[in-house]
Amino acid sequence: MSAALIEQRPQALARAVAGDADSFSRLLEPLLDQAYRLAAVMLNDRAAAEDAVQEAAIKAWRKVKQLRGDDTALRPWFLSIVANECRMARRTRWWSVVRLADFRTPAAEPDETRSDLHRALLRLSPDERLPLVLHFYLDLPLEDLARTLGVSTSAARSRVYRAAKRLRADLTIQEVF
Amino acid sequence: MSNEEFRRDLNNVFDDVSGTPTSNLSDRIRSAVAQPPEARGPYWLAAVAAGVIAVLIVSVLYVAGPLKPAPSQVGGVTSTPTPTASSAPSASPAPSPTASQQPFTCTAENLMPTSVTQPLYAINALRTGTHTGYDRITIEIAVVPVAVTVQGGTTFTRSPSGLQTTLKGKNGILVTMHNTDLHSNYSGPRDIVTGFSGLAEVSIVQDFEGTAQLALGVNGASCYRVTWLTNPSRLVIDVQNS
Repeated sequence: MSAALIEQRPQALARAVAGDADSFSRLLEPLLDQAYRLAAVMLNDRAAAEDAVQEAAIKAWRKVKQLRGDDTALRPWFLSIVANECRMARRTRWWSVVRLADFRTPAAEPDETRSDLHRALLRLSPDERLPLVLHFYLDLPLEDLARTLGVSTSAARSRVYRAAKRLRADLTIQEVF
Repeated sequence: MSNEEFRRDLNNVFDDVSGTPTSNLSDRIRSAVAQPPEARGPYWLAAVAAGVIAVLIVSVLYVAGPLKPAPSQVGGVTSTPTPTASSAPSASPAPSPTASQQPFTCTAENLMPTSVTQPLYAINALRTGTHTGYDRITIEIAVVPVAVTVQGGTTFTRSPSGLQTTLKGKNGILVTMHNTDLHSNYSGPRDIVTGFSGLAEVSIVQDFEGTAQLALGVNGASCYRVTWLTNPSRLVIDVQNS
């Protein structure tokens, strides 16, 4: 991100809070790729992930006045909305979406072609995948990770470690952080 | 496996699962948030306006002539679902809760001429979901001719058997899609009871000779909006739920 853009972000956030949709969209733009990847891993469904990000963006826009802190709080705040939207998508469509996808998956992509790690990841619940994506894939600092999960930093650290241990049993916490 | 290998392998798996977002995602987001929050937020203002309009309508009816059974009012939309699509209900479309989208309609709609000749495009998936102001059914399919009709009651005729079926809800919406089928690629449930406040049940009532019909049982008025989305191509029907 350029220095000029960084300098403009607080003003853009102020304009977004004041109701400027264009400023809000510009603020969200750099976060969309991360938001999509988070949703795609949580839902294991790319089309549903884009829908979830879109719904999350609308909700974030409605609630932007509730955003506390400076513009650095935007990323964990938005990602937490995306994660909530993914949970809601799975909860409300658990049998029509998830099971359909699961039924078709063996034909579309034989399980044998996936790595053990891939299979192990998909066996985790979406809420277990969430800290792994935030830490390993999106490289969020522990403080942002904790904000996104809505827990303390020590709780966030143990969630990452617990989920990682389910993928590789011999991991030590020093190897994770 | 070293720690670095584990991280690299895990990120490769994440890449495999997520792929890359479609190029139009940012445009979708931009257009979705284009509506100022003030237009979405103060629902009390919309409720007051709807109340004033309702009082005015009742007053006019009272003054102008004998009162007939008043149309039911659902979420600010005045509508009277009718037994058949040919007799148009006295409905006035209302703006959707997410005002950036098109308004709901409570009457029959032909989205494309049914005479268009196209190859058969099989339906890949059906999904349902609930959102603020509407419940959604997503039909994953290429663009095909579609007709939507509304009806009072939720009794539909299955084809080709001719058997009657009654769905949950009070009113019905029938979605007819031509040049398609629900058996080549689709192997999911033939009937979906959603538990949502608007869209109560979805049932496949015809899957025959290149025409597929989905019957929707809805709890309120049969007010809906239809949108085509891409990547993948899908027909989205939002049923008003408040």
